[in-house]
Amino acid sequence: MIFVDVPEWADPVARYLIEEGLVGTLRIAAVALVASSLIGITLGTLLTIRFMPTRALIRLYIEVWRGLPIIVTLFIVYFGAPLISTQFELDPYTAGAVTLTLWGSAQIAEATRGAVQSISRGQHEAASALGFGWVGRHVFVILPQATRRLIPPLVSLLVGIILNTTLIGIIGGSELLEASKRMVEVVNAPLPTGFGDRGEFQIYTFVMLVFFLVCFPLTRLAAWLERRLVRA
Amino acid sequence: MTLLALTYDLGSFLEENWEALLRGLVRTLQVSAIAIIGSLLIGLALGAARAHRIPVVSQLAVVYVEIIRNTPILVQIFFLYFGLGQFPAMRMDVFTVAWLSITIWGGAFQTENFRAGFEAVPFSLREGGLALGFTPLKNFVNVTLPVGGRIALPSTINTFIAVLKNTALLYVIAYEELTTTAFQIQALTLETLEAWTVLGIVYLTLVWGLSLSIRLLESHLALPEAA
Amino acid sequence: MKRLILFVALVSAAAAALAGWALSAPASGPTASSAPAAKQALPPLPAAVRNRKRWIIGVKCDAPPFGYIDVRGNNQGFDIEVARWFARYAFGRANRVGFVCAPTPAREPLITSGRVDLVISTFTYTRDRDTRIDFSRAYYKAGGRLLVRNNSPIRSLSDLAGRRVVTTSSSIYDRWVRRCFPNTELTVTDNLTNARLTFDQQRADTLMWDDTVLVGIAAADRNVKLTNDVFLPLPYGIGMRQGDTAMKRWVDSRLGLMKKADRFLPILRNTVPARFVPSFSKNILRPNVNFGYAPASEPDPANVCP
Repeated sequence: MIFVDVPEWADPVARYLIEEGLVGTLRIAAVALVASSLIGITLGTLLTIRFMPTRALIRLYIEVWRGLPIIVTLFIVYFGAPLISTQFELDPYTAGAVTLTLWGSAQIAEATRGAVQSISRGQHEAASALGFGWVGRHVFVILPQATRRLIPPLVSLLVGIILNTTLIGIIGGSELLEASKRMVEVVNAPLPTGFGDRGEFQIYTFVMLVFFLVCFPLTRLAAWLERRLVRA
Repeated sequence: MTLLALTYDLGSFLEENWEALLRGLVRTLQVSAIAIIGSLLIGLALGAARAHRIPVVSQLAVVYVEIIRNTPILVQIFFLYFGLGQFPAMRMDVFTVAWLSITIWGGAFQTENFRAGFEAVPFSLREGGLALGFTPLKNFVNVTLPVGGRIALPSTINTFIAVLKNTALLYVIAYEELTTTAFQIQALTLETLEAWTVLGIVYLTLVWGLSLSIRLLESHLALPEAA
Repeated sequence: MKRLILFVALVSAAAAALAGWALSAPASGPTASSAPAAKQALPPLPAAVRNRKRWIIGVKCDAPPFGYIDVRGNNQGFDIEVARWFARYAFGRANRVGFVCAPTPAREPLITSGRVDLVISTFTYTRDRDTRIDFSRAYYKAGGRLLVRNNSPIRSLSDLAGRRVVTTSSSIYDRWVRRCFPNTELTVTDNLTNARLTFDQQRADTLMWDDTVLVGIAAADRNVKLTNDVFLPLPYGIGMRQGDTAMKRWVDSRLGLMKKADRFLPILRNTVPARFVPSFSKNILRPNVNFGYAPASEPDPANVCP
């Protein structure tokens, strides 16, 4: 059908999409994942302390950034924040990373709370019997165990972040979907600038394939880890 | 901060634009409603097929679920609208792509939710139904569905909420739902902060409201041992 | 004693004569009498760019022939060529410029956030935009055109009523159509690619956009054509941070140099199909072609309805 005769632009387009698009996506995803984990684990642990004000604030943070559609958060961060202060003027990449971090950290905070609270009281009591204070107890006994339970959600979050980097293309950031739009433009453009062809179907199919090949193994990994690590 | 105080005027923004925003909100709710119901039906049917390991349907369902869950919804929307649109026979109008894309997306997640729910129904209950003389279909309707459905309820509701939030992405095909409308207004009038305030409040109200009412419903519908 | 008095008198006279001569000389220092190559010194490159040793310029990545990415991943187009000339003027090398994709909604935030030095991205000057950012002098006179299919019932702007029009979001066309043609079905997309696809896939009856881009499309596709209307003749400018006078002076001066040396013509030849070059050569800055923005005394052209 359409794929039988591979058009001449297929190879360079594919290469551009991988080298520019996919790399851009993975770069943003890596930053957002690390930041989300650090912030999320911290907030989630703090959420378990029975102190009303912090719990209320953290709870608000979580419910807001999980409640808003990510695209709305992105617009707020990119277009809205600069109006409050010129300090907050961000370029698309940073705005994208911040948005994904806000969302991701809210997810992880919730997961951390669940993980920490699932550690039985026995562990807490044994640890204090051994002489650990609150911080020591958490750092040396509770968190290591809780982190094991966090790994499957973290892998799932990575998948979620990778899939949501596509939103950054809307504000002009460089990731895979945005790169594919540019390639559609140049393939569809009339000669001599472009190829005068019609490339939407093939290119979007290719993009879906790339995302699938990256995310499917990760999803499977998360499921496998869930079975292995969350046994107890 | 002075700039903010000088130009932020929520009152007049709402006064001038409330009709357009309301229309956008209605469209958001329309698409969400269709997608919620559609994805529910897909989830029930395919989830049951998966849980009962019905041949062919089961395998196809797995392929469907995995593709949808591992590709960005934005790409799915583009694919349906512009990708398929390359072929005149498969060109769909904006509204069709709007509800179809979100329904397909939601359906994949509901399939997984219900599959897990149905498979979590204790075997003893299912066996009991069969012992009472139910045909497999009647067994499903009278035993597996009510019990499994309730087990799946929390994740089902979460998917409903995700469906509502994802309607905001229809901005990219210029379907005039709430986010698109608000964005277009602020692009013309530059009342950016007012627009985002309205969007934020409306979405949070919808999402929180939905979560809260569902949590209340859950306590009514919860299984006795879970209460 | 007499010799002494004579000596002092002679010296004083000489001194007086010398002083008189010095004081009567014209006050201006090196004057026309000095080198003929004493043209006025060109404005210096703004410090931020000089220290970084390269430009960072926002351009379109999906609007051939002004700004697009070829399959090898390189930025190409009219605006990109202008940017490369700026790199040559500033650093002597055309590759001292990094490009950032600036689709229409991102153009102003990229400037105000300082992420780019300039935006050369089919950026039409409007008085409204001028309140938030600064523009260089005009460098390309664009006009709006309507792209329609060959058998379209739309013959001119007056046929737009009840039709489906597509253009890009927050462009001058967006506002103009909403203001002047309220009974059309307007679709706005967030970038040109989607606007083109919307038109190509027959989801709209006409695509309204800048002439050079549409001319290229019409030239290559036998099934579409342009109507004869030319509207919204608004020049492109180069966008920069508001109040950055050093930058504006530098950019304007170099555009002036390019105009005098007729450098825009070869750039045009590379971007527009050959048979359109003569007619479009009136849209670029040339030694004998001048254009600018509408003077403040006239009503804003972007708001004038036909």
